[in-house]
Amino acid sequence: MPKREEDRILREWTPIILRSILIVAMVVLGAGLVLTYTFAPDYYVERYQAAQHGHLIGKEPVGLLFDRVRQGNPHAVLTIGLFVLTLVPLARVAFCFMLFVRERDYTYVILTAYVLAGLIVGALAGSAG
Amino acid sequence: MLEILIDLLALAVGAGFIGAISGLGGGVFIVPALVIFAHMPMKVAVGASLISVVATSAGASVAFVRDGWTNLKVAMVLECATVTGAVIGAYLAGVVPTVVLELLFAAMMLQSAYFTVTKRGDDILTKGDPLAERLELAGEVPDLSGNLIHYEVVNVPQGGALMVVAGLMSGLLGIGSGALKVMAMDYIMHLPLKVSSATSNFMIGVTAGAGALVFLARGDVATTIAAPVAIGVTAGALAGSRVLPHLKVESLRIVFVIILLLIAAEMGWRALSGI
Repeated sequence: MPKREEDRILREWTPIILRSILIVAMVVLGAGLVLTYTFAPDYYVERYQAAQHGHLIGKEPVGLLFDRVRQGNPHAVLTIGLFVLTLVPLARVAFCFMLFVRERDYTYVILTAYVLAGLIVGALAGSAG
Repeated sequence: MLEILIDLLALAVGAGFIGAISGLGGGVFIVPALVIFAHMPMKVAVGASLISVVATSAGASVAFVRDGWTNLKVAMVLECATVTGAVIGAYLAGVVPTVVLELLFAAMMLQSAYFTVTKRGDDILTKGDPLAERLELAGEVPDLSGNLIHYEVVNVPQGGALMVVAGLMSGLLGIGSGALKVMAMDYIMHLPLKVSSATSNFMIGVTAGAGALVFLARGDVATTIAAPVAIGVTAGALAGSRVLPHLKVESLRIVFVIILLLIAAEMGWRALSGI
């Protein structure tokens, strides 16, 4: 496939990927805030004041988080929304990597694979530390 | 609760707007604003800031990529350098005294401000260097009257070296280093300033995204603050991405210099106050 076609696919599909995940994240975050405002406004103010003193909820197992989302827990819904948002740039790099593999553009396959590997190693090392 | 939400949303919309047009994310405003006005500790502010940088990057990049302002290949090449710097920086954290880095960063911002003030317009090159040509980094951007202008790229290794430093600073100080990224592309690689800004915006999301995932996985993000900030910053970034194409390069340079001076002041303040 000519390079111009590869560039066209990148330019057309990258915004679609960014926008799709961004919309999902915003809908989840918006829903979380509406749930909080409707059912737990005092809890929100309590958590806000706790954050001012540096007290955060801390590490929660992902499985537990999904259980709490099913129960309609506003805090869990907000956390899931933030997780979805942070996946936007990583999904974009993964998409570029797959496109370059398909197009056999090996220079950019190596470059994007390197970025992906660096991000995964960094995230794993950071979350373990 | 509503009052807190409105305050956070207003703050975030402004940060996202300026972050998008300058290519610096929104963290440079979110951190001091949360520390000074919302009385949040630094750790909470940094977590929200990382989320805000991801949101600014994603929100602004939708339009910047679609309209051709972001140079995707330059971003992919330079991301290798920033990721390298960020990983090295993460391992070096604690070895190099933070105060030294913050002062060094403040000095670099002042120097960048000086370079930006002394530069006029864009240097559009018609001949790229061999490495840039091999990597097909040249691009086209519309001018204010809508005519397409072809630009070439030079000094990829030197730009990459500065990107390693930018990544190093991100890993060590937990900042986006967007200012260094814009400087490397604008001043060293001779990309048009708007392309540099849009491409920096695109790139900072990747490193901030990785950092934000770590913060979230550790439970170090105050969701009550980060959620409204993310929504507000995205709205601001979407608006900023509509405005950038219509801005004059000289106006953008003035905005950029003001922000560089603010960053220098913030870093100097962080270093001297020991926060």
